[in-house]
Amino acid sequence: MNERNERIHGVACTFRKVSDVFHAAEKVRDAGWKNWDVHTPFPIHGMDQAMGLPRSPVPRLTLLGGVTGFITGCLLTWYMNSYDYPLIVGGKPYWSVIFPFPVLYECTILFAAFGTFFGQFIFNRLPRHNHPLFDLPNFARVSDDTFMIVLEARDPQFHLDESRNFLQSLGGQEITVIRD
Amino acid sequence: MSSSSPHALTAHWKKFLALGVVALAVVWVFACVGVAHHENRQALSVLVGSLFWISILIGMLLLTMITRLFDAGWAPLIRRNWELLIIALPVVILLGVVPLAFSTDFRHALWDWTNAEHLLPGGHAVGHDPILQAKSWFLNEKFFLIRIALYVLVFGVLAILLRRWSFAQDTDRTAGHTHRLHAVSAVGIPLSAVALTMLAFDCLMALSYHWFSTMYGVWFFALSIRLALAVTVILTYKLSNGGWLDGLLNQAHRHVLGCLMLAFTVFWAYISFSQYFLIYTANIPEETFWYNIREIDAATGLKSEWWGVSMYLIFGFFLLPFLSLLFYRTKIVAGRLLTVAWIIVIGGLVDLWFNALPRQVYDKSTPEGFVVTPFLTPSLFLDLAAILGFGGIVFAIYLRGAAKHETIPVHDPRILESINYHE
Repeated sequence: MNERNERIHGVACTFRKVSDVFHAAEKVRDAGWKNWDVHTPFPIHGMDQAMGLPRSPVPRLTLLGGVTGFITGCLLTWYMNSYDYPLIVGGKPYWSVIFPFPVLYECTILFAAFGTFFGQFIFNRLPRHNHPLFDLPNFARVSDDTFMIVLEARDPQFHLDESRNFLQSLGGQEITVIRD
Repeated sequence: MSSSSPHALTAHWKKFLALGVVALAVVWVFACVGVAHHENRQALSVLVGSLFWISILIGMLLLTMITRLFDAGWAPLIRRNWELLIIALPVVILLGVVPLAFSTDFRHALWDWTNAEHLLPGGHAVGHDPILQAKSWFLNEKFFLIRIALYVLVFGVLAILLRRWSFAQDTDRTAGHTHRLHAVSAVGIPLSAVALTMLAFDCLMALSYHWFSTMYGVWFFALSIRLALAVTVILTYKLSNGGWLDGLLNQAHRHVLGCLMLAFTVFWAYISFSQYFLIYTANIPEETFWYNIREIDAATGLKSEWWGVSMYLIFGFFLLPFLSLLFYRTKIVAGRLLTVAWIIVIGGLVDLWFNALPRQVYDKSTPEGFVVTPFLTPSLFLDLAAILGFGGIVFAIYLRGAAKHETIPVHDPRILESINYHE
């Protein structure tokens, strides 16, 4: 391959059937791999468990965003209506939790949405404009009729020859080394 | 089927029937004695007890139709239990609300507007009340009784149709029944929406007929779905531990029920708060008195025990279930979901108490001309007895149905999808 790109990203291997890639994924999971991925043309139900993926951490940022939004809404309405320019509207108190509640929950929802949106950017490491896998000649087929497992070089278990043999033992069809 | 061990539960139907009959007899005796002594609190127990189950069963009726109409893939396994239960809805209305409404003594004791001699706060008689006269096109006894009869008819016919074709599919395996049930649901949902709104107006809002809220029907809908989902969680927990859902109910079913419970917890809070918020903002005496008697002791101007009930609704019926259900683990771990379901069932009862019990009673010795009925009275136990009584009848009907029909809709086109449902 190209001699200037000597760093190896990982090893890819293709599968032709859902059941093959599913059971292969279970074996990769059981072998204790951390940095690896499965690419499929469509969602395969149960693949999360087969890969041993944990729940997404994004909801934590959603909750954090929501709490921040609620507090922001409280401070916003309190500062404007009760501190900076105290004003009685409709015989209601300068500030209570009731009359500005629409503002409070709208802020909660807005900031929770921010937390979700930017949270998935952070955890998906986006934006990312290119990926070594895109150089793979047959990668386009994983959006058509092929399934692929990629073992990445940054995993402590990775060893080029052993990993290649491991994929072979899983019943992989076409095994390719991906370079950065 | 009925001899195999998961169906041993159905043999208990007689015990439930005995419990129901005994408890209802006791409650009705108290109610009759109370009315003979011009007291209405015992009759309110019958009303609260029946409305508790009416609310649950209306929620289940709607969930049955909604999951039918939208072809919910997770639903068939659980829906059969709703189908077995909903036939109890007209029965509970017939055993509770109908006698209260059709007997003149009970009607006069509970619904002040039906009794022309009843004295309002301040000492005026209902018969000379211009507010009632303006509303009399709707609040007149003839139309009221026709409406009550219509609730039995609408809910009864829908329950019969939803059950008949679903059960028929078990034996003749015809997919056409599923299409027929789509049509029933498409017509049934708007019909039930109108019926449950009017039922909430008649049975709860009209207890204090000067007051009005256009959101009341939506509040009752939200409460009904919350209670129905919570009871479904409790029931399916029991059924998946030694019942006919043993080994069939999985984590994804709990997750979907948990997500719906979370959604309707938020929806209930949204509706309840909006109703309060609009009345608070507009600040019109005809509307605010309803919340005032639920917060302030008119004699002293201090917070009354009803204020504590309101706070319980905010923190115990909204915030606690809401915060618990936000977490994924709460929705999938059976024991945790069960705990939240019980919290919602208890909160739903407190919400019914909050809506049904506080009443202004004419008392000329106080400056306002009325006192508010207290919350903490021994009659709360009578309410619980009424809930047990109606519940006994409901579950006797349910188990009797489960013994006669398939407890799993074995030939529903989506039964496999439902059994293999995943997140």
